Amino acid sequence: MRRDPAVAVAVVALWAMLLLFVAYPLATLLGRVLFDQNAFTTAGIVAILTDRNQIRAFWNSLLLALLVGGGGTIIGFLFAFTAARSRLPRWLLTAIDAAVLLPLVSPPFTTAIAMIFSFGPRGLLTYELLGLKGVTVYGLTSTLSSEILTYFPIAYLTLRPLLAAIDSNLEGMALSLGASRWRVFRTVTLPLCIPGLANAFLLLFAASLADFATPLILAGNNFPVLPTQAYLQITGLFDLRGGAALSFMLLVPALAVFLLQRYWVSQRFYVTVTGKGAGQAPFDSISPAARGMLLSACALVAATIVYFYALLLYASLVQALGANHTLTLRHYRVIFTEGLRVIGDTLIIAGLAMPLGGLYGILLGYLVARKQFVGRRAMELVSMINYALPGTIVGIAYLIAFNDPPIELTGTALIIIACYVFRYGATGVRATVALLQQIDKSLEEASQSLGAGSGTTFRRVTLPLILPAFFAGLGVVFIRSMTAISATIFLVSISWTLITVKILENITELSLGPAAAYSVLVVVIVFVVIALIGRGLRWFRAPGSLPVTSMFGG
Amino acid sequence: MATEAIGVHVDGVSKRFSHRVKGEIYAARDVRLDVAPGEFLTLLGPSGCGKTTTLRMIAGFEQPDAGSIRLGGQDVTGLPANQRNIGFVFQNYALFPHLSVFDNVAYGLQVRGQPAAAIAKSVGDVLALVGLTGYEHQFSGQLSGGEQQRVALARAIVIRPRVLLFDEPLSNLDAKLRVQMRTEIRDLQRRLAITTIYVTHDQEEAMAVSDRIAVMSQGSVVQEGTAEDLYYRPASEFVATFVGRVNLVPGRVIERSGNTVTVAALGTTIHADTGHSAVTSGAAVKLVMRPEVLELVDVAVGAFRADVISRTFLGEKTEYLLRCGDIELQCVRHNSGAGANAAIREGSAVGLHVAASAMAVLPEPTR
Repeated sequence: MRRDPAVAVAVVALWAMLLLFVAYPLATLLGRVLFDQNAFTTAGIVAILTDRNQIRAFWNSLLLALLVGGGGTIIGFLFAFTAARSRLPRWLLTAIDAAVLLPLVSPPFTTAIAMIFSFGPRGLLTYELLGLKGVTVYGLTSTLSSEILTYFPIAYLTLRPLLAAIDSNLEGMALSLGASRWRVFRTVTLPLCIPGLANAFLLLFAASLADFATPLILAGNNFPVLPTQAYLQITGLFDLRGGAALSFMLLVPALAVFLLQRYWVSQRFYVTVTGKGAGQAPFDSISPAARGMLLSACALVAATIVYFYALLLYASLVQALGANHTLTLRHYRVIFTEGLRVIGDTLIIAGLAMPLGGLYGILLGYLVARKQFVGRRAMELVSMINYALPGTIVGIAYLIAFNDPPIELTGTALIIIACYVFRYGATGVRATVALLQQIDKSLEEASQSLGAGSGTTFRRVTLPLILPAFFAGLGVVFIRSMTAISATIFLVSISWTLITVKILENITELSLGPAAAYSVLVVVIVFVVIALIGRGLRWFRAPGSLPVTSMFGG
Repeated sequence: MATEAIGVHVDGVSKRFSHRVKGEIYAARDVRLDVAPGEFLTLLGPSGCGKTTTLRMIAGFEQPDAGSIRLGGQDVTGLPANQRNIGFVFQNYALFPHLSVFDNVAYGLQVRGQPAAAIAKSVGDVLALVGLTGYEHQFSGQLSGGEQQRVALARAIVIRPRVLLFDEPLSNLDAKLRVQMRTEIRDLQRRLAITTIYVTHDQEEAMAVSDRIAVMSQGSVVQEGTAEDLYYRPASEFVATFVGRVNLVPGRVIERSGNTVTVAALGTTIHADTGHSAVTSGAAVKLVMRPEVLELVDVAVGAFRADVISRTFLGEKTEYLLRCGDIELQCVRHNSGAGANAAIREGSAVGLHVAASAMAVLPEPTR
């Protein structure tokens, strides 16, 4: 391949940024854990491995992730199968999608707050309706339920296109050979889905392993997990090294899951998801009774989600849930006066991270998918690291790396923005690469043969075709900038703070009303922005361009 | 839109790829081609023979590892594709899905910075030429395969390319449309007098469109010539079997006199013209007999006799499978009307005659 100066400049610039914002913080973190005054030491690790409490946190984390992965995958598959196979009317599908989307676009601990509102000591169900006193909501069960409700949509979004892409003739064939519907499901449909199920399981496992806010709110003292332990070590005991060592413990399983998913599961798919569905099944692949059961199960889960969000809204509109149910706008008055600066900060940061992350995503995705250069695969891998690692690790790494010279960023908005761009921009990278794999290279060659240089070809042919990926990148970066907490809780300062952090503060101070109001506000803002992006996408999309597959998968 | 036609010279071009199993393999090996100005040359060969790689190197999509490519007098070996001014028609058409028919065709002119009015006129003219007037605002998804093919063609010729390159352009069309489109491509090429290189694996298509055909195998050009040359005077067994159907009859040269040889084959002696080959007395050879050159005659008159194994009526023609000793021969006769060829049926014996000029002689490769 010929050297192209524009490509060379872009590659060098991206490498510089990746090294600074991905490799350098991680290296600093490892350095802090494994070296003491320039001497190699395992003292930090040993300290944790001999501390029974921390060992328990480690196993708790794995147990929780395992259960969330299993439970979430089952519910996600249930939803995906129902949506793909039971010939639902359009409005019902849209309703299911909307209910499933809610947890994905809210701060990750919204369900956790709703759990407290519902089942807590003063909860609507436990206290008001059942009159129970002194119940405790804290522990494994509630953390698990909350995380499953929060993360099963990821499984749904990865499994549904897979089920839709299975050639319905395969199932028809098995049926015509005399197999019963149940047998067809057991011997054809399910085996074809196994790689997808494994993939979904790993995604949920990683999400739960990394989840920091839900356990912080719901797990309580009797069920410590690693991310919360690391957080408490740093913010409570001001022990940066101990926190780093704890996050290092988290790094091992997280990295294992990432590599397993990337290099093992992803190569074992039988079904190729191309973006165009295989069409409706030519026969009724499930019996009316099974259809009824599936629908009821989905309705139950969806109703729970809707109930939680309604409760959240209600809690934001009454004086004090569980004590005084007089309607009031007091909490909103609070957040729009005292909290106005926090809201402003968050919007500025999200507003800056969104375009930067979107551009970063398509630029890196395009280079990696279409250009030949040394270190291409390495670049893709490095760009995924911050996304794959639990936020706690990334946050602590940034905190350690950018606290002191040579690069001192602590206390600035830049450190938060960089964290978001290099963490969530990865979704844009993946969307771009996936979309480009569907676009034949001959389109770019055609443009070239007609006299266009690489710049013109990118601008006039490639860019319009990967615009859906750009918008997907914009959407994800914005949503996460509004809702994420695990990494950025270490990076906020007096000058720049975020709504999510404020919500957590409110919860620990037991001012639950404002916390609910903030949560409702975030959900509303995110929904408005998603709607705008969807509108923009339709505006830009010419009739001939390729459809964009799910924006939020993973 | 006639511009001065130019020649294309491909000189000793090679391209290597590393293959996971086979290691280093040559996709093209020392390929030499000379295409005259205005000529229609086809690269014909089975898949993996290097024809597309050669075409893509001429277009500038691939860089040769060795050799040079000249367009007219200009060496373009190191020139990027966008500076070569060639028209390329892709197998999958590669129409820009986000642009209308008009914008697809206008693309190359816009890149060249032509004024809008001139572009509108050129696009209108070329769409009329390919019979797509009125399709300007459609998108490629709304067009049939044949229409997409025409848009791709219009887009390639509107820039007045110095050379037109086709990469298996008809392989995605159904049989009937393929025949129609190849005639249109041929007519258009004649009218515009653009030097054209065309890649296909379909020998009938190659014969229908080309002035000259270069047969490729395993990265190399194995024979060049007109369709008739390749068909009746193949230089190798590969060409003989790849281009058309053939009977290869083993034999031994008894005597050579001038350009005629006498060959012992099929239990008799057969006279044949030598053509290209330099066979001498005593050499093992194969006689190349096309199915239609075998004349079925009365047993008493024929040079040798054969038994009819099967007979297949195919409308315009009847095909026979004959056996002569342990050799099977394919034979085709045209049907002149109902009942023609009816007398020759399975189990009967026939006499055969072949004209000396209708055969080629291939030396057996020495091992």
